[in-house]
Amino acid sequence: MTKYAMVVDLNRCQGCRACMEACKVENNTAEGVFWMHVFRFETGEFPDTRQSYLPRPCMHCDNAPCVKVCPVGARYKREDGLVLTDFERCIGCRYCELACPYGVNYFNWRKPADSYFLDWGDTDIQAATGGAIPPYRNPDLDEPQGAERRMTAGGGHHKGVMEKCTFCVHRVEKGMLPACVTTCPVAALRFGDVEDAASPVSKFLREHEHFRLLEETGTEPSVFYVGGNPPGSETRQIETIEVGV
Amino acid sequence: MLSLTRRRFLQGSAVTAGALAAHRWLFGGLETLARADPLAQGPPVEDMFPTTCWIGKQDCGMLARRIDGRVVKFEGHPGNPRNAGTLCPKGQAQIVSIYDPNRVKTPLVRTNAKGQKGEFRPTSWDEAITMIADQVNEVRARNPKLVLWQKGRSKAKDFYDDAFVKSIGCSKLGHGAYCSDAGYRALEYTIGLHGVQHPDFQNVDYLLAWGWNITNAGGNKFCWLTWPRQMVVARERGMKIVHIDPRLRSAGPFADKWLPIKPGTDLALALALCHELVNQGYVDTEYLTNYTNGPHLVGEDGLFLTETVGEGDEAEQVPIVWSASADGPVRADQASQAKLDGTYEIDGATYRTAYQAFTEHLAQYDPDWAEVVCGLDAQQIRQVAREFGEHARIGSTTVVDGVQIPYRPVSIMSYHMAQQELGFQALRAMTYVAMLVGAVGAVGGMFSDFEWKIHKNYAAFEELTVGDPPYDYMLNKSKYFPINTGFPGVVAKVMLDPERYEVEELPEVCILHMVNPVAAFPGQAEIMASYEKFRFVAAITPWLSETADYYADVVLPAATIEKYEGVISASDGILDAKTLRLPPMEPLFESRGEIDIYLDLTEAIGTLFGDDGYLAVVNSELKLEGEFALPLDRKPTPREIFDRWARSQGLEGGIEYFERNGVWVKGLIPPEKRYGYAADPPFGGALHRIYGASLLAAQRQMQSKGADEIYWRDYTALPTWRAPTMESSPAEYDLYLISYHMIEHKQSRTGMVPLLNELAPHQRVDMCPRTARRIGVAEGDEVWVESHNAVTAETRRVKTVVALTEGIRPDTVAMPHHYGLWSVPESSDRGPTPNAIYPTGEGYMANTADQSFHVKVRVYPANGGDEA
Amino acid sequence: MAVRTTTPGLPYGVGRLTTAWKAFVAIAAAVVALGLYAFLREVTQGMRVTGLRNLGTGGGATWGLYITFVVYFIGVSFAGITIAALIRLFDLRHLRPLARMAEVLTVVALVLGAFAIVVDLGQPVRGVINLFRYARPQSPFFGTFALVLAGYFFASLVYLYLGSRRDAATMAREPTRLQGLHRFVAAGYGDTPAERERHRRASFWLALAILPLLVIAHSTLGFVFGLQIGRPGWYSALQAPGFVVLAGVSGIGLLIVLAAIVRRTCGGEDCLTERVFAWLGRFLLVLLLVYVYFLATELLTGTYAAGEREVDVTRQLLTGDYAWIFWASVALLVLPLGVLAWQALSRRWSIGLLVASGVAVNLAAIGKRYLIAVPSQTHGQLLPYEAGSYAPTWIEYAVVAGLLALGALVIALFMKFIPIIELPDESREEVTADA
Ligand SMILES: Nc1nc2c(c(=O)[nH]1)N[C@H]1C(S)=C(S)[C@@H](COP(=O)(O)OP(=O)(O)OC[C@H]3O[C@@H](n4cnc5c(=O)[nH]c(N)nc54)[C@H](O)[C@@H]3O)O[C@H]1N2
Ligand SMILES: Nc1nc2c(c(=O)[nH]1)N[C@H]1C(S)=C(S)[C@@H](COP(=O)(O)OP(=O)(O)OC[C@H]3O[C@@H](n4cnc5c(=O)[nH]c(N)nc54)[C@H](O)[C@@H]3O)O[C@H]1N2
Ligand code: SF4
Ligand code: SF4
Ligand code: SF4
Ligand code: SF4
Ligand code: SF4
Ligand SMILES: [Mo]
Repeated sequence: MTKYAMVVDLNRCQGCRACMEACKVENNTAEGVFWMHVFRFETGEFPDTRQSYLPRPCMHCDNAPCVKVCPVGARYKREDGLVLTDFERCIGCRYCELACPYGVNYFNWRKPADSYFLDWGDTDIQAATGGAIPPYRNPDLDEPQGAERRMTAGGGHHKGVMEKCTFCVHRVEKGMLPACVTTCPVAALRFGDVEDAASPVSKFLREHEHFRLLEETGTEPSVFYVGGNPPGSETRQIETIEVGV
Repeated sequence: MLSLTRRRFLQGSAVTAGALAAHRWLFGGLETLARADPLAQGPPVEDMFPTTCWIGKQDCGMLARRIDGRVVKFEGHPGNPRNAGTLCPKGQAQIVSIYDPNRVKTPLVRTNAKGQKGEFRPTSWDEAITMIADQVNEVRARNPKLVLWQKGRSKAKDFYDDAFVKSIGCSKLGHGAYCSDAGYRALEYTIGLHGVQHPDFQNVDYLLAWGWNITNAGGNKFCWLTWPRQMVVARERGMKIVHIDPRLRSAGPFADKWLPIKPGTDLALALALCHELVNQGYVDTEYLTNYTNGPHLVGEDGLFLTETVGEGDEAEQVPIVWSASADGPVRADQASQAKLDGTYEIDGATYRTAYQAFTEHLAQYDPDWAEVVCGLDAQQIRQVAREFGEHARIGSTTVVDGVQIPYRPVSIMSYHMAQQELGFQALRAMTYVAMLVGAVGAVGGMFSDFEWKIHKNYAAFEELTVGDPPYDYMLNKSKYFPINTGFPGVVAKVMLDPERYEVEELPEVCILHMVNPVAAFPGQAEIMASYEKFRFVAAITPWLSETADYYADVVLPAATIEKYEGVISASDGILDAKTLRLPPMEPLFESRGEIDIYLDLTEAIGTLFGDDGYLAVVNSELKLEGEFALPLDRKPTPREIFDRWARSQGLEGGIEYFERNGVWVKGLIPPEKRYGYAADPPFGGALHRIYGASLLAAQRQMQSKGADEIYWRDYTALPTWRAPTMESSPAEYDLYLISYHMIEHKQSRTGMVPLLNELAPHQRVDMCPRTARRIGVAEGDEVWVESHNAVTAETRRVKTVVALTEGIRPDTVAMPHHYGLWSVPESSDRGPTPNAIYPTGEGYMANTADQSFHVKVRVYPANGGDEA
Repeated sequence: MAVRTTTPGLPYGVGRLTTAWKAFVAIAAAVVALGLYAFLREVTQGMRVTGLRNLGTGGGATWGLYITFVVYFIGVSFAGITIAALIRLFDLRHLRPLARMAEVLTVVALVLGAFAIVVDLGQPVRGVINLFRYARPQSPFFGTFALVLAGYFFASLVYLYLGSRRDAATMAREPTRLQGLHRFVAAGYGDTPAERERHRRASFWLALAILPLLVIAHSTLGFVFGLQIGRPGWYSALQAPGFVVLAGVSGIGLLIVLAAIVRRTCGGEDCLTERVFAWLGRFLLVLLLVYVYFLATELLTGTYAAGEREVDVTRQLLTGDYAWIFWASVALLVLPLGVLAWQALSRRWSIGLLVASGVAVNLAAIGKRYLIAVPSQTHGQLLPYEAGSYAPTWIEYAVVAGLLALGALVIALFMKFIPIIELPDESREEVTADA
């Protein structure tokens, strides 16, 4: 039995946000959508200032409030631990978004074609891309995933449905690592099977102290943090990402 | 996309159309993006094609994922030592820039007057190339040097631009001290290597991160991610980082100790650290005696006591040292045990060793003095010196690959540190910190380049000849800047007032290649004014740069990543590797790769073929000899050029080797090449200069030729502190403005990448909350930042918004580079560039034409605050 | 009595289309049309046209005005059905005249509630289908909206029908334009004592069945918010009872207003007596007292007992962005409380003041629903995101106005077919006598 989890090594994270970009390109997410978000934090006062970074994908909770509340079972948990959204079933009630304590859900507020930064109507570009929007459109996202063959790879980014980090289900199904994990310049992100005691992530977790975000909410996240410590009441965000979409 | 959807409707019968419509209404199923290549029939063809990052400075290896030939993603190339399968945010985001509809699509010819937003008409390549060729030839006929070929922050180490310059004999101008050239000159002068400072991360235990923007930008030579990769591993080994920077954000969580130094005072701190190391006895006398000019005897005139050997042109000056065994003066090249310190009488005159002079010079610079100058705590300075000295383990050695080498696991990382008024001298003094403990070129110690190659400047700096006017427009060998970096700021000043610099001939034609001075260089006003003076400007660029927009007569559309470039080093300082930039797709629009462009351009100019033509130079630059040499009478394709090079390297399949593997890893760099001590001769035979007699000599010549003090005052044999010019600005300019790079942007060349703008949308001024309270502004408030030029009393101001952080000195504010662009809609209206308020020229451009990225400013609310 | 005076024609203005009525209907219809237009824009362009945005990095609220009114409407329906049930259960003869209004109110409010949910869906049509196709009882959402409400929606329909059937039978004897329709509704009901007795019993048992249903319905509705650990300010045991009581308050308030209107326009003075209003007034008073108590405790727990995030949210209510809404709502609850208490003590009831109180408490209810839904989104993030903000757009206002207008329209039309006041038995004797 496989159970996937992500381990974030805060002793390494540079706060560079490459993971955010990798996610956006791999999953073709629209303007203002950050399935992965990296916080930049600050505490204390000059000169005793401390700064830290905190990557935040979906936690793929084992006891996921978002799954509990979904009225139509569009948001569901797979045996392998992935919490996914079937965008063909989702009715866009946004209840999961409310129920999630981590703020990782992103609703498609508008027509996807309107949400891709530049005007791709340019004929020369269409000639080179066959009119794909965005031009770096990833075909895997339109494919049904897993044994249950459900549309969970976030493809299409349909108007009026919910989406969030998929743990790159379409890559994982192919035996690849998630896009954010591969791109991380300092290997601060790790991904693997925590059921398998021999797997690198299991080993890493055994050898290092770790915590999970908002343990107190009982969500049982599948994302573990090594090093650093959870944000506290005096934690300030710096260099916030402002998006109106 | 809509059109396609509709087309698909028409294809299907009315029934299916109806069904689709119903489905759309019920499930919004079609309210989705156009599928990948909707027109393609059959299953998509997918492959991974190797290339390299087009944005950055270190050309990280990449694999382009292609679907039916369309690039959909860049992944890091796992085999490339520099990035090992990873990419930074810019590397990831560049996918958008390739397909950017705002690229320059065809060659353009200007139709309106220069100095304003450009209006252009599209034209053919032929016409554009001929126009440039005619202009170039017209000037070349009189004086080829009056054609100025300018390039800024290049990416791949390119042979083709040099080949162009050499084949037509024009002048070449780089970014000079607008990057870190002052540091390069300092290290070339001091240890003979071409670079600034970096550690041996595999072994270092104690690192001074000196103005190194760890989590955002380069450090020495690299673009970014290779250093952090090595840094995190070193920290897991237990390496400690002392972060010397007015801002904490550059090191973020990785600063074990933060010395928030006052901007522009690093020379003072370096001298104080030397002072402490000497006082606390952390001195590697063996190294200093054998590998530096410390023992050389210095007379009262401050120059070396030498003896002439040989006659005529053979004649050379050999320095004298005091031999302990002979207890008298002996030629340095014959001395057995030279004394490192001491003062000696020779024929009635007193001489002291250079090292003696150095230590006496240091006496005035104790930590209590530095505490005031640098705004740091004296105890902290003493402690850092002690820890540095202890960790240095002076006297210890270790064995690397069977070679026994001194072991000094203490080092420095610095690069833009050099961007200050006293940059050259500061970098020399910082190098002394490493030299005192013998860490230069030692295992775990301080390096400047990846291999121990002595740069030609080392010898050239032994004798600094200060010539007589008239000077050329770069002021080479001038009484103003005897050590000359080839600095655009100097060229600008000269073009605006040639008489003042005793220059007679000014450049007339300028070819801009990968440079955007108008946006990227401090002293924006001067820079812009100087481009007005060119009769003809051609720009080779994928996007209309601000410089091209305002001043280009002709613009040639360069391809972005869809081109051949190289040969590119893929070395991470440990492994030796080579790679090439290969086009994952045909150039979009009418754009073309630079190699194609220069082949055509030189052909039109008439310098492509023949024995010293473009092709000939390419042959010598790429060392293409015999069967591999390009025939000098036929125009090759870029692919052929690299194919020949690859074969000449013994790679079977030639360029196919790279098309298959992407990178060619040659193996570990042997210790003999890496470590100065292990080199043969040690340190490449270059004696490290702890005493700069030739600088003092130059100063005397400058004085004799009547140069003002402002030019010669910093040509001192030993780095000597003086208050930076900006300190004489009036008191109301009470804040220091500094500048830095953000991880999300690259210079002024990523402003048009929307994915990056989403992460870092606009300019800001970083400020300590207590400073903001004093000024009466809060997060996000609009403020004026007004600078004052202490020499001309001129003030300049820009409007931006406040960003609060406790990670900056209260007497300092900071504005990142990257903004203030206007030529592409996506990059416009994102706030100003600090270069609009940074002065260039005298006072802010000192010594070796070291550009200062510091100025005193005052900040005040913009609401109604328009009173200036 | 009044009924005799309203001859010729049908009782309580049935069938009589006054110009005032026509004007009202016209205006209501126009507003409905506007709402429909706004909704269609939302469907075609996506919900970007609303003021809703994502939580977290989106810095917005993802549930807003629509959900506010979902909750409000369901609250109103609650009161209706409760009163109807009570009247049946204890056979409160003097309140009988209120029964039908209450039932109509319930049904209409429930329909509006359902619509309000649909307009809040990103995929409305798909939603209507999938909510049933893939129904998941585990989701409190489903529990509330799909099961229980549907359950007592059905019950109130039955009531309405049983009652209307009787009156229809009665009126069917009059030769009017509506005779055909009335015959149809009566569906062969002859109003014999036996039939009447069967009705009474059916109603009684139904009432008995409904009451528990009610409590569950509104508790679960409370749980929709109450159970969300992720949302500070929502995870409060008081949510459920709080909901029920405030629902009662708004419902009774609206009933008072409706009754007053009916009394004026349909000549209901004869049966909608001072006494009836006094009873409503006292009922409202009691509920208000209870609710204000809840409010107080909720605030205290919010401020002192709870975690720092809860405190944040509460601070926003008391002094922050939402203070004006909060204090306005409180005022609109406390003032009526005073007015009612004074009337109760002095035993003199002014319908005018009652109506005013009714309107006031309903505004307060809307305000409170809004404050439960929105602030815990914009200021209740558990991770240190920036605080968000939410302001409805004209689209949302138009859609909501459309819904309200739709409700008014339906009731107005209904009144012209079936008497909005149940015909008293004695009137029935009368009619039969004439025959
Ligand atoms: N205030 C402030 N100013 C700074 C700095 C700072 O830290 N603060 N940093 C300084 C430093 S370190 C440097 S190196 C300089 C860099 O300054 P520049 O060397 O001018 O580099 P860019 O600003 O990136 O401008 C490069 C231009 O080249 C063009 N270009 C981009 N890619 C290509 C290509 O593939 N081919 C061709 N032909 N053209 C291309 C684009 O038009 C782009 O505008 O900026 C300096 N400016
Ligand atoms: N993301 C990104 N990476 C880049 C680039 C880019 O544009 N973007 N540019 C590339 C290029 S061309 C270069 S040259 C390198 C430059 O890379 P770096 O050498 O790291 O240069 P900066 O990013 O300017 O960082 C300079 C640091 O010095 C600090 N500083 C400023 N004034 C002083 C001072 O007086 N004393 C001390 N001790 N510190 C001071 C600043 O706060 C800042 O943290 O980056 C390369 N890498
Ligand atoms: S890519 Fe890696 S280092 Fe950069 S922010 Fe993400 S996790 Fe941190
Ligand atoms: S993080 Fe939020 S969205 Fe992800 S599984 Fe947990 S509750 Fe669901
Ligand atoms: S928005 Fe979609 S996924 Fe989320 S709860 Fe509603 S139906 Fe389920
Ligand atoms: S796992 Fe995939 S989807 Fe999730 S954050 Fe990383 S890249 Fe994005
Ligand atoms: S570090 Fe520089 S070269 Fe490497 S991917 Fe990033 S931008 Fe490109
Ligand atoms: Mo640079």
